[in-house]
Amino acid sequence: MAENSGADPAVEGKSEENAATGGTIIMVTVKTPKDKEEIAISEDASVSQFKEEISKRFKAKQDQLVLIFAGKILKDGDTLGQHGIKDGLTVHLVIKTAQKATGGSSTAASSSSGTSQPNSSNAGTANPGSAANLGTSQGSGPSPAPSQPANLFTGFGDLSSLANLGMGSSNFMELQQQMQRQLMSNPEMLSQIMENPLVQNMMSNPDLMRQMIMANPQMQQLMERNPEISHMLNNPELMRQTMELARNPAMMQEMMRNQDRALSNLESIPGGYNALRRMYTDIQEPMFSAAREQFGNNPFSALGGNADSSGAQPSRTENREPLPNPWGPPDASSTGTGTTTTSTTTSTTPSVSNPLGIGSSSLGNGVFNSPGMQSLMQQISENPQLMQNMLSAPYMRSMMQSLAQNPEVASQVLMNNPLFAGNPQLQEQMRHQLPVFLQQMQNPEALSVMTNPRAMQALMQIQQGLQTLQTEAPGLMPSLIPGGVPPGVPPGVPAGVPAGVPVGIPTGVTVTPENPPPPSSGLGSTPAAGTNPTQQQLMQQMLQMFAGGNASTQTPEVRFQQQLEQLSAMGFINREANLQALIATGGDINAAIERLLGSQPS
Amino acid sequence: MDSNGTAFPVQLYIYDLSRGMARQLSPIMLGKQLDGIWHTSIVVYGDEFFFGGVGISSCPPGGTMLGPPDTVVELGNTEVTEEIFMDYLSSLGETTYRGERYRLFEHNCNTFTNEVAQFLTGMKIPSYITDLPSEVLSTPFGQVLRPILDSIHIAPPGGNVINSQNNHS
Repeated sequence: MAENSGADPAVEGKSEENAATGGTIIMVTVKTPKDKEEIAISEDASVSQFKEEISKRFKAKQDQLVLIFAGKILKDGDTLGQHGIKDGLTVHLVIKTAQKATGGSSTAASSSSGTSQPNSSNAGTANPGSAANLGTSQGSGPSPAPSQPANLFTGFGDLSSLANLGMGSSNFMELQQQMQRQLMSNPEMLSQIMENPLVQNMMSNPDLMRQMIMANPQMQQLMERNPEISHMLNNPELMRQTMELARNPAMMQEMMRNQDRALSNLESIPGGYNALRRMYTDIQEPMFSAAREQFGNNPFSALGGNADSSGAQPSRTENREPLPNPWGPPDASSTGTGTTTTSTTTSTTPSVSNPLGIGSSSLGNGVFNSPGMQSLMQQISENPQLMQNMLSAPYMRSMMQSLAQNPEVASQVLMNNPLFAGNPQLQEQMRHQLPVFLQQMQNPEALSVMTNPRAMQALMQIQQGLQTLQTEAPGLMPSLIPGGVPPGVPPGVPAGVPAGVPVGIPTGVTVTPENPPPPSSGLGSTPAAGTNPTQQQLMQQMLQMFAGGNASTQTPEVRFQQQLEQLSAMGFINREANLQALIATGGDINAAIERLLGSQPS
Repeated sequence: MDSNGTAFPVQLYIYDLSRGMARQLSPIMLGKQLDGIWHTSIVVYGDEFFFGGVGISSCPPGGTMLGPPDTVVELGNTEVTEEIFMDYLSSLGETTYRGERYRLFEHNCNTFTNEVAQFLTGMKIPSYITDLPSEVLSTPFGQVLRPILDSIHIAPPGGNVINSQNNHS
């Protein structure tokens, strides 16, 4: 009799009984801990009938079956309808192991009194001990407990070390602080964390990291104030690099060290200190605190810092060409542009903030004799490592590259440089020279020259020699190899290099309108030739001196004797600065005075 | 439908494993708001039962390292006696809720709690708890972390393992 609407094979067997009870057949799912079956039964059936079905299906005795539905135990006398069991619903089944269970629970009860179940609020039936110890080692309740605490962390697998940091904290802030404290006090921990594959995985996903960073409200504030940072964050390459750094503690240390070195170098660049200070207060500090909050360290400080500092430098050197050689060889580079400019610099004597003092003004000009320059050169020669470190820092290159690719930025930075503020001419020159300069900066040869302390020292010596020569024997110059020297190579000069260094060309250079073209064009456009930087620089130098010499057979000093005296009478006691100013202005006292006054860093 | 036997109250203890971190960090990390990483357990007969990396465990209510629960939900009463319940748990512990069957996303403490709640009372646990894994997995972050998270077994210490055969702890 196929009254079964369900029509599944299982039902057929029972169809007789089902039919007997009549009513619609419903499919009820019977679920045991081990498995689950669908049983077709009449909806009017009684529980005992249902159990019969079940016992057949599950191969268990009816008295072993305990049916539970909606928290109620189905008693044999009940009907399915009584409990609201309908089609498609699930009834739970427990197959009692009768004696074993009861036996177990009783023994458990007796032996487990001392277990970790002090709570005696059981609802009356078996004591709590049984619950805990059912099946497990009776009476050994407590023993699993001590090992349990370890489970939390071992269970966490890789997260265990992280979990250890703060799982005990009661709230998030505390956790963070704890973590920070631990990180600070235990540098090992940081590397441990970094090694944690979870962290590494996270860090290798730049988008993720960026998201996390940007979500920190402090960072957001920071980004608003300094759009460079957001630009930096948005650069996936940069992020990835940072992530790499963060992951590799050794590398990060190295970079930090480099950065420190570089920063100290930057101090000695004209205006560099100011830039540094600005950079620090505006960017680095808040970044530090913001990042530290999040990460406990600041992988971005290096990047953030460099962004600004290196930016400022290159532009300045543009003129000089061999940025890298600020102190060094009077590289003609600087003057390359033949701009008048500078020379003044004035007295800004070597102050920490502007050791080059002149540097800036000398930009376009060859005021390398200025006291500031000297001190800088001295500094450099004393510590050749500085340049090396600075230049070798990876970020320098990337900064240079990005600058080269983005001339607007470079020119902007350049324009903003206070040193140039008073000299639109110089600015113009610089602007024109910018692309070339940037290119030059990338010249590896140039860079290598800069990184080679000995080479730089040699250049410096050459410069000094030339200076001496010039003063002692001005007439000698013309006999030296004249121009034609391919504006050598301004050793590209990593921005870092004290841009100010108008390397070389002591005085004379520039200015003289008669000879700007050759030197300037030559020097300014120096393509990144750099086959033999040293030699070429030397040539340039000579060329410029030659040019300077041609202007008049007298040295500027002689030429401007009268003006010099006037200036000193006015109170400008720095003879050299005066001279430079005069040279730059071609003897125009008023302009020279302006220059002297104007380039005083205020 | 009145209970012929005694009725035992059944409660659901809900813990936030992240201790508030999820509420703060989830918008950042996942892009959606998750109020917590929920761990649940059933409290009945004066004991707390939960499923973890070591299997089904029990302890006095609130007796795990997690401390007191963040939320307690009354699931109702059950007629099921403790004895029957223990049998039931043993069976579960031998089959679908062995320790090694623990899966952070698909077969976790909340899965267990849900099943037990239905067994005892016919009621399910709140959906925001059981929906958590899918919520997390539907975010890019969750996908990224998935391989790592899959290997995590959460087993709040402080309980005893219920298992008729092997003792995982």
